[in-house]
Amino acid sequence: MKEKDGKTLSRREFAQRAALLSATATLTSAQAVLPAGVNEASLQVAGSGPKLTEAGQAEADARYQQIIALYGNRFDDAQKSELKRMCAELQPSLESIRHYTLRNGDAPALYLKPLVEREKKAPPNMNSAPKHS
Amino acid sequence: MLKEATLFAPVSELAKQIEAKTLSPVELTESYLARSEKFGSKLNAYARLLPDQALEQAHAAEKEIRRGHYRGPLHGIPYAAKDLLSVKGTPTTWGAKPFADQVFDYNATVIDHLRNTGAILLGKAAMIELAGGMGYKFASASLQGETKNPWNMSCWTCGSSSGSGAIVAAGLAGFAIGTETWGSIVCPSAYCGVSGFRPTYGRVSRYGAMALAYSMDKIGPMARSAEDCARIFAAIAGHDFLDRSTLPIDKAAFTYSPASDLKGRTLRVGWLTNAWKQYDPGIARIMELTHKILQKRFASTRDAKLPEGPWEDTANVILSSEAGSAFGELIRSGKVSELADPLGRIGGYVQQTISGSDFNTALRIREILQGKMTELFDSYDVLATASQPIAATPLAMDLTAPELTFADPLGAIGNLCGLPALSVPCGFTEKKLPIGLQFVGRAGDDAAVLQAGRVFQQATDWHRHHPPIS
Repeated sequence: MKEKDGKTLSRREFAQRAALLSATATLTSAQAVLPAGVNEASLQVAGSGPKLTEAGQAEADARYQQIIALYGNRFDDAQKSELKRMCAELQPSLESIRHYTLRNGDAPALYLKPLVEREKKAPPNMNSAPKHS
Repeated sequence: MLKEATLFAPVSELAKQIEAKTLSPVELTESYLARSEKFGSKLNAYARLLPDQALEQAHAAEKEIRRGHYRGPLHGIPYAAKDLLSVKGTPTTWGAKPFADQVFDYNATVIDHLRNTGAILLGKAAMIELAGGMGYKFASASLQGETKNPWNMSCWTCGSSSGSGAIVAAGLAGFAIGTETWGSIVCPSAYCGVSGFRPTYGRVSRYGAMALAYSMDKIGPMARSAEDCARIFAAIAGHDFLDRSTLPIDKAAFTYSPASDLKGRTLRVGWLTNAWKQYDPGIARIMELTHKILQKRFASTRDAKLPEGPWEDTANVILSSEAGSAFGELIRSGKVSELADPLGRIGGYVQQTISGSDFNTALRIREILQGKMTELFDSYDVLATASQPIAATPLAMDLTAPELTFADPLGAIGNLCGLPALSVPCGFTEKKLPIGLQFVGRAGDDAAVLQAGRVFQQATDWHRHHPPIS
């Protein structure tokens, strides 16, 4: 049961996963919220964390810094270290869904209604090129 | 005190005796209460017992039945409800210290439905704090502490419906109600050796239930057989104008007919070959035997594969984003630090940084996945595989340890798409820990899943085993 390949977030059950997740885009850059005096290099997750690209690491760092900027005084050093790890462990998961091929017309399941007796045939393709631009 | 054989009997058998007036609801309730008082605290199975209320309901049921007004198969049957379902005037703690004194002035719809059937609420079942919504690292992530597995008290029940699983397995009530957002009925049912049913999303009202992930939470029964699950599901399913997410009246209601279900419809079973990367050695052997039983008992059992894609990542983003919102005030106020689990105290902060863009991407992937699963169910009525690739884990184990990190695409898919699932016992490891078999069906086809479980349980007796608890 030791799969951990970066594409598949591991764990059988949501419980352990929920806390490992987060995302980014409200941030512009790590630098924007990095407190004065904090060395970016110090944010690198040691040892056991996932191997991230430079951009991925920057994004994970930014998430961490966003939390610290808002709530930093609530955490001790051990918790900060754990938060840093969680922010990094999230990154492969986020990149995985971002890399999934979606077309502009692929709409969100805004309000989940299971497909009870849904037509088997797909609806007309809304993603084909428009006839009039 | 009634004999163990009665206390471990399925609802279907208890109901016959109650209807025939050979079993007293009062005596049954008193016996379950006594047993719950004796073993409940040892197992940390209950958040709270409600003896006065239960006995009052039991006396009322007995009086009604004596007068000839028998309401149906749940009349006079004691049960426990996970402590995230509100019961008027009674603390509903959500398993979490910040909500330890929380009292609602109304009942959850599920509680009202069960009350209308004459079922007797024995107590509130212990649970993982906030149903694990902030994440957790240890089995002790609960206001009640770690719930112990009746099959082996040094092992965990799994979560988050921990108490519900322990209560049914230990014969402390006739059945229990659990909830699942991702794995919280299927996993405890497997670890505890009980039959647990996760209905299609939207078939059971969540009014009065703690929200964790609005588009993924489901409420379902945990009991001693698939047939019991069907009976209980029939009692709690239905449209509810108080819960906008429930399906329309004709799609939400479920009618259970014990005579007709197993006739008339032959089920095509898809035996999943890619649901789990690997099994623990003892489990692989059990699943081979289980596969043979399915091949013998079902008209068609063929190998099937789940579609490949980032389903777990998608489910995680949606679930975490919704949880970060559901418990936003708890996180912002800092009261989340009162949670028992070290991971739970900080996980919400990370959840709250999920972007709208990533959340929407996940929702778009969900829509595509729903289409893929609809196609798969054109070839199969139910998919089958092990409920978990491992048996119950030691109580003190770090749940984020590498040996517990395995992919669960079926759990992600089933909960993302709101598919019904049933876990039934299918054997034991050499250490006498239960193993579960899982059936998953098309959204709305809960009947197929329950029927598959009944067919399997007609051919096996694993669901009739119970732990030698003392």
